[in-house]
Amino acid sequence: MATRMKLKLKTVFVLYFMVSLLGLVYALMQLGQRCDCTEHDMPKDRTISRLRGELHRLQEQIRKSEATKQPQKQATKSSLPTIFVITPTYARLVQKAELIRLSQTFLHVPQLHWIVVEDSPHKTPLVTDLLVKSGLTYTHLHMPTAKDRKLQEGDPSWLKPRGVEQRNEGLRWLREDRRAQPGGDNQQGVVYFADDDNTYSLQIFEEMRGTQRVSVWPVGLVGGMKYERPVVEGGKVVRFHTGWRPSRPFPMDMAGFAVSLKLVLANPEACFDGEAPMGFLESSFLQGLVTMDELEPKAANCSKVLVWHTRTEKPKMKREEALQAQGLGSDPAVEV
Amino acid sequence: MPKRRDILAIVLIVLPWTLLITVWHQSAIAPLLAIRKGTQYDGVEGKREAGGQVQDSKEYCASDKDIVEVVRTEYVYTRPPPWSDVLPTIHIITPTYSRPVQKAELTRLANTFLHVPNLHWILVEDSQRRTPLVTRLLRETGLNYTHLNVETPRNYKLRGDTRDPRIPRGTMQRNLALRWLRETFNANSSQAGIVYFADDDNTYSLELFEEMRSTRKVSVWPVAFVGGLRYESPKVNAAGKVYGWKTVFDPHRPFAIDMAGFAINLRLILFKPQAYFKLRGVKGGYQESSLLRELVTLNDLEPKAANCTKILVWHTRTEKPVLVNEGKKGFTDPNVEI
Repeated sequence: MATRMKLKLKTVFVLYFMVSLLGLVYALMQLGQRCDCTEHDMPKDRTISRLRGELHRLQEQIRKSEATKQPQKQATKSSLPTIFVITPTYARLVQKAELIRLSQTFLHVPQLHWIVVEDSPHKTPLVTDLLVKSGLTYTHLHMPTAKDRKLQEGDPSWLKPRGVEQRNEGLRWLREDRRAQPGGDNQQGVVYFADDDNTYSLQIFEEMRGTQRVSVWPVGLVGGMKYERPVVEGGKVVRFHTGWRPSRPFPMDMAGFAVSLKLVLANPEACFDGEAPMGFLESSFLQGLVTMDELEPKAANCSKVLVWHTRTEKPKMKREEALQAQGLGSDPAVEV
Repeated sequence: MPKRRDILAIVLIVLPWTLLITVWHQSAIAPLLAIRKGTQYDGVEGKREAGGQVQDSKEYCASDKDIVEVVRTEYVYTRPPPWSDVLPTIHIITPTYSRPVQKAELTRLANTFLHVPNLHWILVEDSQRRTPLVTRLLRETGLNYTHLNVETPRNYKLRGDTRDPRIPRGTMQRNLALRWLRETFNANSSQAGIVYFADDDNTYSLELFEEMRSTRKVSVWPVAFVGGLRYESPKVNAAGKVYGWKTVFDPHRPFAIDMAGFAINLRLILFKPQAYFKLRGVKGGYQESSLLRELVTLNDLEPKAANCTKILVWHTRTEKPVLVNEGKKGFTDPNVEI
């Protein structure tokens, strides 16, 4: 039995050795083949080649559009008057959000120069970074409002005029800057005062670009009405359709008019009067510049609303204040 | 003794064979799997769908889905960026309703969206019929859009200004948009897409859209001005996983996040066709959870915006304009659209 076992074992072992060897060789061959498994890699390669093709196409597109833009750019630079938008702004919770969505609108408008004037004794990093990232042509200024002229907590928004010093600072810088440019007082350009919480359609900027003296148009959601507008007869402004004190010399909102750069430079003394009675701020500026019949009506003879005097709610911070009282307020390093 | 040897022999023979067989098993199955995947990929590549501009004469346009190069009709409006075949489409669902600031809100929202490539705007009106105001606005922007409408029944509507949290606003409209997506896109052959719920009064930075494009299931980020705080955000641990919510208002909700704080991969929406926002019986602040809990678990959430440390979206609210001077009969010409 033992010898038979031994014999059996020997042959079995030999057999087993041979078969295992064969099996190992086969397995090795299989492993080798696995590297050859293109079915797995093909989709990835296909994606890569597709991406490359796409990239190439987009690059071609860019090259083509730049090629057509170049001659156009020269033309636009000389033919499109620059719109100088003066925006006073002040630090509050929604400031960053307001400026961001404003910049998103402005980014669509060619030849626009944004003049942001902060109500602050110095330039804040929030606005500085925002302007850099915006991709717009801009000028960053600052001018603090005197304490007694400032609105206090709980004051209604109409109690004191806002943005006066800032707009005047914007005008001052503009005059100084433009005087140094070639062309002197005969430069093409339009000046527009845009508050940071209003809503502007892209059309309004094209409407105002051709302003020769002062152009006007309707403004939505202002003056306690759906819209305020100049009334146009025979292509001229004859009166103003407004629900509040229509006897003002220019009863319209800051967002409802634009002044040509020429006029601004020709009248270096014209600025906003902070002492003017409520609602007369715009008039205090325009009085020295134009008369009513010189106004240029835009927006299809002042029949379309292309800018809205929206106002943003102050966000409720009850819980934040409660937390801060406990010393558990949100991380102030996170910019909001 | 022979028995032991027998056993030893058998073991010595069988063991390497089992090893060999397992190795063979694995190496045999893997190429098989790859072949199967290969055919699947072929399927994906074969039928490619992309959102195109929908004519507003039809309710929802499932056909006509060619990539349309948007033609500028007015020189004033800029074209949206050229459509890319590689970027996932962002489907933005915005419920809207008629009120004086509606046109202004939609205008500035459109101005923001015109900067985002591969964007498909699904605007759902809370109205019986699609209003001419919105129809005209959408057409003039030049964006890639779909215009839908469904009216919230009177007993669900909010009365005036009162924020009644038991009746969440915009729910039916968002659900209609989800249904439209499921009817329009096929689960098997869908182009990559991300679904985002954007209310018409919020403020969005352009960075946000690029952050959400890489969503695999559901991605989340902080939102400013919600929950009575400067911002609410998900809590992210060192491993980059969401484990909680940094909020004061009911942080133990399954998903204590605002509608603007998350985005969902389109594939997930299509794979779970039963997932909708719950309409009735939803506690205040639980609307988002009613949808998200059917789609993901906390562990699957992908934190964006630098591990939820940057604010890229603000929950701004626009004041209701004071129209006191309109009086009872309306002072201004009602034909002028605002």
